[in-house]
Amino acid sequence: MSMNEKDEVLLRVENLCQYFKMGSRENKAVDNVSFDIKKGEVFGLVGESGCGKTTTGRSIIKIYDITSGNIYFKGQRICAGTRSYQNAIKAARKELADLQKNGGDPARKAELEKEIERNREEIRKARFDHQYSDREYAKTLVAAVHEEYKAKLEAAKNSPRETAELQKKYKEELRVAKKTRLITKIQMIFQDPIASLNPRMTVREIISEGMVINGIRDQKYIDEKVYEILELVGLVREHAGRYPHEFSGGQRQRIGIARSVIMRPDLLIADEPISALDVSIQAQVINLMNDLRDRLGLTILFIAHDLSVVKYFSDRIGVMYFGKMVELATSDELFAHPMHPYTKSLLSAIPLPDPRSEKNRTRITYNALAAHDYSTDQPSMREITPGHFVYCNDAEEQQYKKELGL
Amino acid sequence: MEKVLEVKNLKISFRTSSGTLKAVRDISFELERGKTLAIVGESGSGKSVTSKAIMGILAGNSIVEGGEILYDGRDLLKISEEEMCKIRGDRISMIFQDPLSSLNPIVKIGNQITEAMLLKNKGNRKKAKKEFSDTLALLKDNSTAALGEGESEKVAAAVDTFDKFNTEAIQMENSYNTALAAADGLLVDMDEFLFLVEKKQKIDPKARLKEFAGVLKTVKDPFLTRDADSELESIGAELQQAVTVCPKNTENALPEAVYTALNKLKACLENVTKQIRPDFFCIGYYKLQNPEEDLSSKAVEELNAAAQKYLNDHFMNDFLTMADKGLEHSYRVSIDKKKAVMADLKDAYAFFGKGGYDKKTAFEKCKDITDKVEDSIDPLEIVKDSTVYTFKSSLEGAVQKYFQAVVRNPKEEARYAKQTRKREALIAKGKRVDWKVVPKTVYDLNELQAEITKVIERLMVRYEKYIAEAAETDFRVRSNALVDYFKEKASQVVYIVTKKMAKEKAIELMDEVGIPDPHLRYYQYPFEFSGGMRQRIVIAIALAADPDILICDEPTTALDVTIQAQILELINRLKDERNLSVIFITHDLGVVANMADEIAVMYAGKVVEYGTAEDIFYDPRHPYTWALLSSMPDLETTEKLDAIPGTPPNMIYPPEGDAFADRNKYALKIDFERQPPQFTVSETHWAATWLLHPDAPKVDPPKIITDRIARMNKAGGDNA
Repeated sequence: MSMNEKDEVLLRVENLCQYFKMGSRENKAVDNVSFDIKKGEVFGLVGESGCGKTTTGRSIIKIYDITSGNIYFKGQRICAGTRSYQNAIKAARKELADLQKNGGDPARKAELEKEIERNREEIRKARFDHQYSDREYAKTLVAAVHEEYKAKLEAAKNSPRETAELQKKYKEELRVAKKTRLITKIQMIFQDPIASLNPRMTVREIISEGMVINGIRDQKYIDEKVYEILELVGLVREHAGRYPHEFSGGQRQRIGIARSVIMRPDLLIADEPISALDVSIQAQVINLMNDLRDRLGLTILFIAHDLSVVKYFSDRIGVMYFGKMVELATSDELFAHPMHPYTKSLLSAIPLPDPRSEKNRTRITYNALAAHDYSTDQPSMREITPGHFVYCNDAEEQQYKKELGL
Repeated sequence: MEKVLEVKNLKISFRTSSGTLKAVRDISFELERGKTLAIVGESGSGKSVTSKAIMGILAGNSIVEGGEILYDGRDLLKISEEEMCKIRGDRISMIFQDPLSSLNPIVKIGNQITEAMLLKNKGNRKKAKKEFSDTLALLKDNSTAALGEGESEKVAAAVDTFDKFNTEAIQMENSYNTALAAADGLLVDMDEFLFLVEKKQKIDPKARLKEFAGVLKTVKDPFLTRDADSELESIGAELQQAVTVCPKNTENALPEAVYTALNKLKACLENVTKQIRPDFFCIGYYKLQNPEEDLSSKAVEELNAAAQKYLNDHFMNDFLTMADKGLEHSYRVSIDKKKAVMADLKDAYAFFGKGGYDKKTAFEKCKDITDKVEDSIDPLEIVKDSTVYTFKSSLEGAVQKYFQAVVRNPKEEARYAKQTRKREALIAKGKRVDWKVVPKTVYDLNELQAEITKVIERLMVRYEKYIAEAAETDFRVRSNALVDYFKEKASQVVYIVTKKMAKEKAIELMDEVGIPDPHLRYYQYPFEFSGGMRQRIVIAIALAADPDILICDEPTTALDVTIQAQILELINRLKDERNLSVIFITHDLGVVANMADEIAVMYAGKVVEYGTAEDIFYDPRHPYTWALLSSMPDLETTEKLDAIPGTPPNMIYPPEGDAFADRNKYALKIDFERQPPQFTVSETHWAATWLLHPDAPKVDPPKIITDRIARMNKAGGDNA
């Protein structure tokens, strides 16, 4: 992989906000989170339960409609929220009303009206992208197929037999292209292998479901693909006819992985894939995912709370706390120089198989209220050293830099 | 160290449609008071079954094939369900793996936590009262017998006095403790309050100050605050005054009056809490004898010394001498009886050893001998000897089992023969047979007979030791222990838990296990909590009844690191504070490094390696322990993980040799043929693997482990 390709951004999450309604209040499950995932890397997302890491993963794969922010996948906007624009319009309208009451500057008025119009346009665009990004993607694919077969048909113009064959293939591929969605290039592995597999479907049906939905009808081709993937994840082809309950926990998780890998995704979202498994099986699954990553060149968003595993598996790690990203760095850097007090507290809690050091381990507690004074100085994500971002304000930034001797 | 729980040769299997599944195959371990035993292994290795057997909540299709679980002089496998109910959740309690299914979804959290406390308290007070008076009556009878009829009135008077002043003392102590706890809590709360105010956090100072004033009123005890009563009163008034001028937010600095009041209160409370603790046991007697005297005029040290001297001069010496005599009498009588019983035991040993008896005579003999043994037990023995106390249930169980097998064996043989015939006939006809003959489970009658004699033999050995020790028993030590026992029981008698107190304690517990806003959460239902919070509730419930033994069945597996660390710390702290014994079941070795004193590694229903935490982590010997250790990455791991291939064996057909041999890359040929015995590595450490046999080839642990141990040793050296 060339350097250039390595730095290519596969997924960009910009100011992602995901709020849930709780009666009259709103629960800010994810609040203004931004990060990039580069092609071929494993990005770890850690934090305690309820901090929004799973919600982030689910928002990316469009299980939820995001409240605000943008998500770009392969340069194309696939998710977009409108709340920030709506808020901007509201603010502008309020100011406009004030101006009208007090008879203010007409130039400012015009400016505000323009602003409202611009935001409305943004909302329209966001809605369009959010809803039709898949259709647009399919359109480009269809165009590509048209282009390809136009040339081919032109070349085979003289042989009617060949033309007929090509026509048939052309039709088939066109149908697949029309049904292909960009979002299928992102796949997810779920936490609980028992709950995420349909007990009434055979393994073959489970694994091939995605392909069937995608418009592939060639049963032979599907079977072949299923066998290939089964072998890839360390199962055998005889397993294809069985039902999920006939498998052990580790094998079930392998089926889950096979199901997501068969669509040849570019990005795999692994939502705590090993938390529900037994020790020995955890190691098997980690090894398998490592293996697949090398073989298929996968990019993985790895969501977990076991820090030792995340450290072992990820290139970069983002730490989340109560819906906010508080620190983001390469895994070695994060473990060598944790800066945010929450990260420090998190790292101090990792249990290690060493009784002597464990007896001396002191856990650092983190109290968000006591640790920060954000009453005047507002915090934001800041780069302390290259590639190492921390959520802090000016005073804290100075302090972190001083700690590092910068 | 005192052993709290002993598990001996436990064997448990489950009846299933396809045969008997052997879940636990002959495991033994001991749990000492205040220690933690960790049981580690994959799922399906029998860890949870062991713990459920201890709790007496095995599934309906389980068969206890043998073994004993000894707790407090009883065999938990043989006592009745009613008796078990008194132990379960009260003396031994358990934290379950899945918090959702162990909480009642339609009962509020608060009620679930306080339920055990209220129930237990009611039962306990009755029980303690009974035990207290029963033991006292026994002592009285024995002392009278020892000293002669002439002294009976004197003895009765002494016993009566002892009863009265003990209760009095405990009541005073309770009031003192409550006031002290309130004062301590107030100090902590005030510090937090001042800190938050300084940081300008969003709190309501007015409400908090009101709360302080309320708590302050409860800091009142004739001993604790007798010098400071008036001062506290004036400070209380000052605080009330401060409340009226205090704003409802922290945007501006609080008025000066608040700070002065709080500082005064703090200084005063610090003085109060630093006082020397009065010796209530002695003072109780003093008070009983001189009810009119005002004790608060004297200094505490002076009072302590005076009361102790008074107690010793006027009562305790006499009482102890009397108790000595009584204990000795009871002891001598029981030793004589024991000597007499020995002959009967020998007789029974010969009878059961010979064999060839029918059911009726055997049970008659059994009843005869157990009655005699029960009679020979010293009722004033405080530390109950498990062998003696479980003799009846053990012997009856063993005899019953023998006759069950006598009936069942021929039936089983017949079934097996019939099925085999049928199958063979079908095969002979040339039909396809897709079913197997369920393997027969026939009990070895000789073995069962040997078990009966073993029970008797064990008691004989124990009794011989008793008789040999008889000459050198120190009765003063025993009578002191007896007095301590009375003190403990008396404290249980006066320890009343009302609903309000239970609620307060529940809220305290919820706070302790890290649930924010316990006052609000108390009234919520389980579904309103997140997974981590639910687990904390389960822990709070388990701790509510002040158990002796806490069994934690993977309590943190579903939780994330920070909460896991908090919960481990919590369990560790409670263990130290309450002298709890903990059985900690997990599959994550990292978790137990901090917790465990001893670790048992289980695989396929057997303990394969046993040792202290240091032994297991720094010097693991069994390949399965290696595999467990190397299958999880730590922070330094970069190489490929050593996953254990395959899955645990099917325990309906347990393998002939070492159960782990199939998945073990270090397996020797003998591993497939014979089960390895326990090889001792050091005094505290053994492992069951043929690799430790002197003739075995030398095998090094996987590199991932040797590297890690080298790294840990280096780090350990640096720390030292």
